[in-house]
Amino acid sequence: MPGMNSGLDVNDPTVVAAFRSALSHQGIIALLIVAVLSVAWVSVRRPALVESPGEEPAAGPAWLADPAGRRLLRIGFGLLWLLDGLLQIQPGMAVGLPSQVIEPSAVSSPAWVRHLVNWAGTTWSYHPVQVGAAVVWIQLGIGLWLLAAPTGALSRLAGVVSAAWALIVWVFGESFGGIFAPGLTWLFGAPGAALLYCVAGMAVALPGRSWRTPRLGRAVLGGMGAFLAGMAVLQAWPGRGFWQGTSGTLTGMVQSMAQTSQPRVLADLVSGFGSLVGAHGFAVNLVAVAVLGLTGAVFLTGWRPVVRVALIVFVVACLADWLLIEDLGVFGGLGTDPNSMIPMALLAGAGYLALTRAPEPASAAQEQLSGPASSAASGRAAGPRWGARLRSAALRGSLVNAGFGTMASACAICVIAIGATPMALAQATPNASAILAQAIDGPVNAISGPAGGFTLTDQRGSRVSLASLRGKVVLLTFLDPVCVSECPLIAQEFRQAGQLLGADARRVKLVAININPLYDEVSYTRAFDRQEGLAGVPDWVYLTGSPQRLRQVYREYGVTSQTLPAGAMLGHSDIAFVIDRSGQLAEELDLDPGPGTAATQSSFGTELAVAARQQLAS
Amino acid sequence: MIRPWRIALLAWLAVLIAGCGSASGHLATASAAPPATLSLTTSTVMSGTTWAVVPMGAASGPNLFWQLFALPQPGQRWSLATPPDIATNGALVLASPGGQALTVGIRPSLYLDFSPVTVTRDHGHSWTTLPPDPGLADFPDALAAAADGQVIAIGSGGQVSQYHQGASGWTGLTSQRSLAASPAGRRCGLTALTGAAYTSAAAPLLAGTCSRPGQAGIFVRTGDAWTAAEVALPASLRGQAVRVLRLTTTGTRDIALLEAGAGSTASMLTASSTDSSHWMLSAASGLAGRQVISASFGARGSVAVVLTGGRAEIMSGTGSPWRTLPTLPPGRTVTLALPAVGTIDALAADGGTLTAWKLAPGTVAWAREQVIKVPIQYGSSS
Repeated sequence: MPGMNSGLDVNDPTVVAAFRSALSHQGIIALLIVAVLSVAWVSVRRPALVESPGEEPAAGPAWLADPAGRRLLRIGFGLLWLLDGLLQIQPGMAVGLPSQVIEPSAVSSPAWVRHLVNWAGTTWSYHPVQVGAAVVWIQLGIGLWLLAAPTGALSRLAGVVSAAWALIVWVFGESFGGIFAPGLTWLFGAPGAALLYCVAGMAVALPGRSWRTPRLGRAVLGGMGAFLAGMAVLQAWPGRGFWQGTSGTLTGMVQSMAQTSQPRVLADLVSGFGSLVGAHGFAVNLVAVAVLGLTGAVFLTGWRPVVRVALIVFVVACLADWLLIEDLGVFGGLGTDPNSMIPMALLAGAGYLALTRAPEPASAAQEQLSGPASSAASGRAAGPRWGARLRSAALRGSLVNAGFGTMASACAICVIAIGATPMALAQATPNASAILAQAIDGPVNAISGPAGGFTLTDQRGSRVSLASLRGKVVLLTFLDPVCVSECPLIAQEFRQAGQLLGADARRVKLVAININPLYDEVSYTRAFDRQEGLAGVPDWVYLTGSPQRLRQVYREYGVTSQTLPAGAMLGHSDIAFVIDRSGQLAEELDLDPGPGTAATQSSFGTELAVAARQQLAS
Repeated sequence: MIRPWRIALLAWLAVLIAGCGSASGHLATASAAPPATLSLTTSTVMSGTTWAVVPMGAASGPNLFWQLFALPQPGQRWSLATPPDIATNGALVLASPGGQALTVGIRPSLYLDFSPVTVTRDHGHSWTTLPPDPGLADFPDALAAAADGQVIAIGSGGQVSQYHQGASGWTGLTSQRSLAASPAGRRCGLTALTGAAYTSAAAPLLAGTCSRPGQAGIFVRTGDAWTAAEVALPASLRGQAVRVLRLTTTGTRDIALLEAGAGSTASMLTASSTDSSHWMLSAASGLAGRQVISASFGARGSVAVVLTGGRAEIMSGTGSPWRTLPTLPPGRTVTLALPAVGTIDALAADGGTLTAWKLAPGTVAWAREQVIKVPIQYGSSS
């Protein structure tokens, strides 16, 4: 997919080092904020409690304050988000997520899905460090928030944030869980783990009263039942290849999973199961269809005694699938989550627990555990207005009354903000981060000395000399007008640099010199300009001249070209020089465009523009 | 209140939609097969030198490099003569020969969207350039040169341009649309251009495909107008659709390779002329369901044709019958060359190796003559 990823090596050391550095710095900031908030809370709260010891909350674990079904979702998905956040810390994630996770998930989806996902992948690859780090903190923050806030408005807000982020991940990271692609099957994770996170988040966000009647449990189980019955139909559908043994769809999927890098024991297990499917494909699929169909039908009834049995069967099936088919979800390349079976089992379990009518909450205890936010949520006590709360005394009062859950939620929100803010700032700029260019070609080198003079002919047939450009910063490169790969990319980088310079562009001249003395006619530089859309760029000149004159310029700048045999294009240096306004060489940039993706082109454009601006400022 | 059965119904619909999405992925979109075009693999003889264009390296993509080979005189050895300093991934188009110089166009590939044109006058030792063409069409006779330095190029959009020696660029000569709208084009029902050449008198010739049965689409520029060449097809072919597969000039003779009919009844024949107005037809050779892959030209109007199924046929000169050649030697691509009367070379390319085979007069088996290891620069275009 064009532009989907930066094309860099997943473990590129420059980007990995920057990713680690960003995580370290943001981690320190997060710890500092947590420490400051904790100290403030403890120091304000303790004297207040000493002054009025009668307000000490009743003893009791806070995490038991919400209904069992909701608690299962909140804690289960909180832990899952924490695990997902930790998985995002893998060194290759910053560069590799678009190419190794997002792109493969979209490859067999329809074109409109690929376009949408391509946009997301491109956006990520423009700022891999900022976005990669943001995902870590957002997921850790959501996980902490869900765990820390058992009840009240902040707890429900955690559910909303969890659902919203999961929806983003499902659409852009999982390509809608592959539901629009061929080969959809529950066994391999349909409808996508993130959609289940989203459903769970929405359930957590529901008002407390929704969890106190069996209706929600029946709705959750009914929805799952219908989904599983539908999956059973798809699993049984003739022609989809699931009934075949050796050559079947399931066998192929399991065998490919067995070949991913993972612990030997696991590989043997998955491989053994693959052999079983190969030998008894029909029987294995029959079991899968039966489990899906029967559990789906039972879930639809909502009849608690049989649902309990079906739930046990379903959870066992989920665990077996997770181990033998999904391969625990985190192996093979860059694992981002443990896949769909654990979330699926958690949802079913929560649905079952919600079938039982929950007791009314102990209001006083809940209020003390969760602070004023929960009071507001239950609608009992409106409390003071926000303006009044912000006054120092009122703020102190709020801190005194705040429960641990509220304080921990505030810390979690700060963690999310720490990741999201740099990402939002980076995304506000249309150009890619310069780190990509540095990863490909290393840093810009400072040089000095007078730039070699030249007088050549531009693409319009006019004579141009370096001396005539005095007073402007010159970005100079050497391009082959009949090049089929790298030179057009470099030309686009120059074009982007010109755009990024904005109003400063009129104080900068973008200059290319023909590096191919055989194709030295102006008609070739002009054709190249037309090809690259450079004909209308005002500060761009593409110079050429006689072979002798051109070779003299090559010598002045130390650039080399080499005729390669057998139909290969001319080999030459990919290099750019920054010449200051007085005609002195200032910097030298290696311009090998690397993979030449939209992200790397934009990154080189940024690097060139920054170099020109530095000279303008000096 | 939301009833569970409603949620179940919605979920069920979602599953059905998902199922539809998955099923649609299996459906193949039926599309009309594109009209078969000849490979750009070819050879030609010019002032005693035989030139051959052969695809080498990978079968496709940025590691496919088209090569030009030269045989200075019959009996000598083939040598690599690919134009330097330009990537040849998009294919080389040999100009229909019209003088001492060989003109070669390079088709667009990868990021290159125009066609550089280059010329050699010394068997490929040194090259000069002509202004680039906007983008040569994908057939072997998209470029033609005259002895006086004029060049015709047919672009991929059907535009026909002409270059006059010393000019700074190309000028428009006509286009497929204009030619189709002319009286000659209307009479033929011109649907596509397939080649260009110059007559020995340096008059431009164009060839195309006619929609009207029994019409051979050959047009000659007379003054400022295009007139249809009078090609009198035999009665047996008058009801057949005729396609001009190749159009070239050898010595003082213009020669066209025609295909009449389609499918199992298709046949091929040549039409040749020395004055561009009277065209003589060769005997027709039934293709028996095979397709023409490539065609090469030699002296005295000789034509050698490679067909599908490893089969090849030759017509040794105007008026000669078609003769089936021995099974072609092995190779991913085999190009026939006709360096001298009675001598046939087969250039078999496989990856970076070119093997030259010879079928000497009076023999019935190919003899291996020469092996050339071509130093292909894999990865240089990517």
